[in-house]
Amino acid sequence: MTLEDFVLGGQWVFLAYFVGINLGYLMQNVVAAIGIRKYLETANQFEAESAFSALDIPISIVVPAYNESASIITSVKALLQLEYPQYELVVVNDGSTDDTLQKLIDAFDMRQFPEAYRGRLQSAEVRNLYRSTKIRNLRVVDKVNGGSKADASNAGINACRYPLVCVVDADGVLQPDSLHRVVRPFLEDPTTVAVGGTVRIANGCTVRQGFLEKVGLPRNFLALVQVVEYLRAFLFGRMGWSPINGLLIISGAFGLFHKETLVEVGGYNPEAVGEDMELVLRLHRIMKEKKRPYRITFVPDPVCWTDAPENLRDLKGQRVRWQHGLGQALMLNKSLIGNREGGAVSWVAVPFYVLFELFGPIVEVAGYFFIILCASMGWLSWPEAGIFLGLAIGLGVLLSTSAIMLEELSFHMFPRTSQLVTLYAVAILENFGFRQLTAFWRLQGLIRWLRGGKHKWETITRSASVVD
Amino acid sequence: MDWLFRSEFDAITTIALWSIAAVVVTTVVLFVYTLGLRYVTVVSARRRRAFLGNWRDVFSAAALSTEAARRQELPRLRRVDRLDLLEEWSRARSVVDGSAADNLNILAVRAGIPELAAGLFEQRRVQSQIMAVQTFGYLRDASHYGAIAALVESPSTALSITAATSLVEIDPARGVALVVPMIAARRDWPRNRVSILLREAGTDIVSEPMYRTIRSANNKDKTYLLQFARLIESEVRDALVEELIRETNDAAVLTAALKLVSGYRGVPRIASLTQHKAWYVRMQAAKVLGRIGQQEHLAILESLLDDPEWWVRYRAAQSIASLPFLGPNELRRLQGRQTDPFAVDILQQSFAEVGLA
Repeated sequence: MTLEDFVLGGQWVFLAYFVGINLGYLMQNVVAAIGIRKYLETANQFEAESAFSALDIPISIVVPAYNESASIITSVKALLQLEYPQYELVVVNDGSTDDTLQKLIDAFDMRQFPEAYRGRLQSAEVRNLYRSTKIRNLRVVDKVNGGSKADASNAGINACRYPLVCVVDADGVLQPDSLHRVVRPFLEDPTTVAVGGTVRIANGCTVRQGFLEKVGLPRNFLALVQVVEYLRAFLFGRMGWSPINGLLIISGAFGLFHKETLVEVGGYNPEAVGEDMELVLRLHRIMKEKKRPYRITFVPDPVCWTDAPENLRDLKGQRVRWQHGLGQALMLNKSLIGNREGGAVSWVAVPFYVLFELFGPIVEVAGYFFIILCASMGWLSWPEAGIFLGLAIGLGVLLSTSAIMLEELSFHMFPRTSQLVTLYAVAILENFGFRQLTAFWRLQGLIRWLRGGKHKWETITRSASVVD
Repeated sequence: MDWLFRSEFDAITTIALWSIAAVVVTTVVLFVYTLGLRYVTVVSARRRRAFLGNWRDVFSAAALSTEAARRQELPRLRRVDRLDLLEEWSRARSVVDGSAADNLNILAVRAGIPELAAGLFEQRRVQSQIMAVQTFGYLRDASHYGAIAALVESPSTALSITAATSLVEIDPARGVALVVPMIAARRDWPRNRVSILLREAGTDIVSEPMYRTIRSANNKDKTYLLQFARLIESEVRDALVEELIRETNDAAVLTAALKLVSGYRGVPRIASLTQHKAWYVRMQAAKVLGRIGQQEHLAILESLLDDPEWWVRYRAAQSIASLPFLGPNELRRLQGRQTDPFAVDILQQSFAEVGLA
């Protein structure tokens, strides 16, 4: 094969990838738009009564915390004010080296309690269990550091008493009515095993006493781009998969699970880098193996606000980790691919993720080198290259525009028109530099997965404007 | 730009070129549409604020006084405000009861709300029909009863449950007789809304149809329906629960029925269920024995302390700790004679929970 043959063949590969990924995203967009419209039609009907219901299912909230001394008290106080009739809070101190535990003990008058703890899920050793003498529904599990959020979450789940378990990030900012919103699929369909909700970027927002007071946009460009990214990822990326029961990710920042099913599948995998995605894939796999009817659902309501990295180092770390986690999670559950009875998960969602999300960076980065190669050899037709570059950018902007429109149609969280215009500007600008950079980082993540790298707890700097 | 208009591009590039045009046009349309949406939202919010400023006091006065509902002057209603009026009236009506509800219904007739709802009812949009059906329910307007009854069968969850609720509001006895037998088949109806509907109808009206429906249902439906049995009269419920516990060996039905036990009926049968093969039946039976608390059940509960299932041990220990005839000293003696480490652990936790640690 000559270099010319390689180039000629290569351009067909790139074209097929380009058409495939964009058709996939456009389809998701259409499905998501229909899904959101349908959801909103009934949302108000269900909302009004739920506050008065005694039938809402009790929920255990698990808050894994590692060195969260600065924010843990505010977070716990906010979580204790959620609007829900019956829930308990299980904070897991994962062997923090700061005074996270002592702060909890002092603030809530925690006392050691001889609880018959059941280690149904694997985790590092639990040292003590504490119960608050002030607040009936607050307990703390103090354990030896297990090196991962998954390990801490498992210990928390072991201590839970209610049928539904909600795992949240200690530094996440929840909407006060978030539990009401995510519990709805469990009330509507008893086969529901897991529900995720929309996570938004907290950078630029004002947070008071652990609750979001004012929605704003960050000044930092990297964070701003991530606002648009998250809109795309949640409003059509996840909403597009949910109606066909093909949702593969429920964000680790906020997810609600049926506890017994969670225990049955073995809880979080402490070895997984992307423990949230790995868990959802495993739920799909095991439910299918057991031939059990089940639903994994997504609600588009914003339920949680989280901090996004504002510097290149943190952002790179996050993207490398996400890609590493994606590869590992797909590999650990590879039997889902092509499973004859796997339905949309096996035949649509997982293949799409493998082709376009996992191996996408290889094609993207190879594409950049391919262009450079062709240009240097004088084989590049600049007009044609310009047309395809324009189309790629145009489609990217179109997808972002559509996500912003879905946001405006549904939740219009950004109150000022100037904020909308800023988001549009960012949707265009992100194509020049940011997109290429993330493709390189994702490729690094892919390589790290192939080489079998390890992962530990990671933290990023809090960037929301916190008013205590 | 001349190169862009040259004619010798191959087919794929030409398609790409046209795709760019389509993408740009679609993006611009979406952008303008989004800004338009924002404009409409801002204008609607402003209009709504003005509307509420005029009508909020009218609703409040009417809810508090029949005289005000009948005689107070109503603000001029613009055509664009009609849906807001219906929404706001429904919101106000949903939170009141008794004479305040009657007063708001009087006001509704004066403001032309029945006609507005009838107009919406004719529309095919599900959302409009939901609003109309809800309004007929609040107004207790029986003129559309037949049409609303047909909507209970609607595949739309929101529309069918709203129709069911309205039927019960319009004519509780007739509505409950129609709706209760449908509950098991309509699993898509949110359980909280079903429970509100039944509660609003009243235990006296719900008891008999619910009893008959549960008695004639299959095991799966019985289990589902039993969660609503809390909303029936206690004598009917106790009889129903006793019959079910005596007659069935189905673990799911037994569990659901045991959760409803409140009296002393059928205690020997309940005690025998502590040996049931399903752990969740054993657990519920242990819980009931703790609640009814008789001396002869202590040995049964003690035997459950080394049950292989944690929840059974936990409930048995909690039940022992709550037995009224056991004082702290007896409880400590009981703990002291346990040899199984599981039993010791679980008693320690349960005693600590009631402050005996």
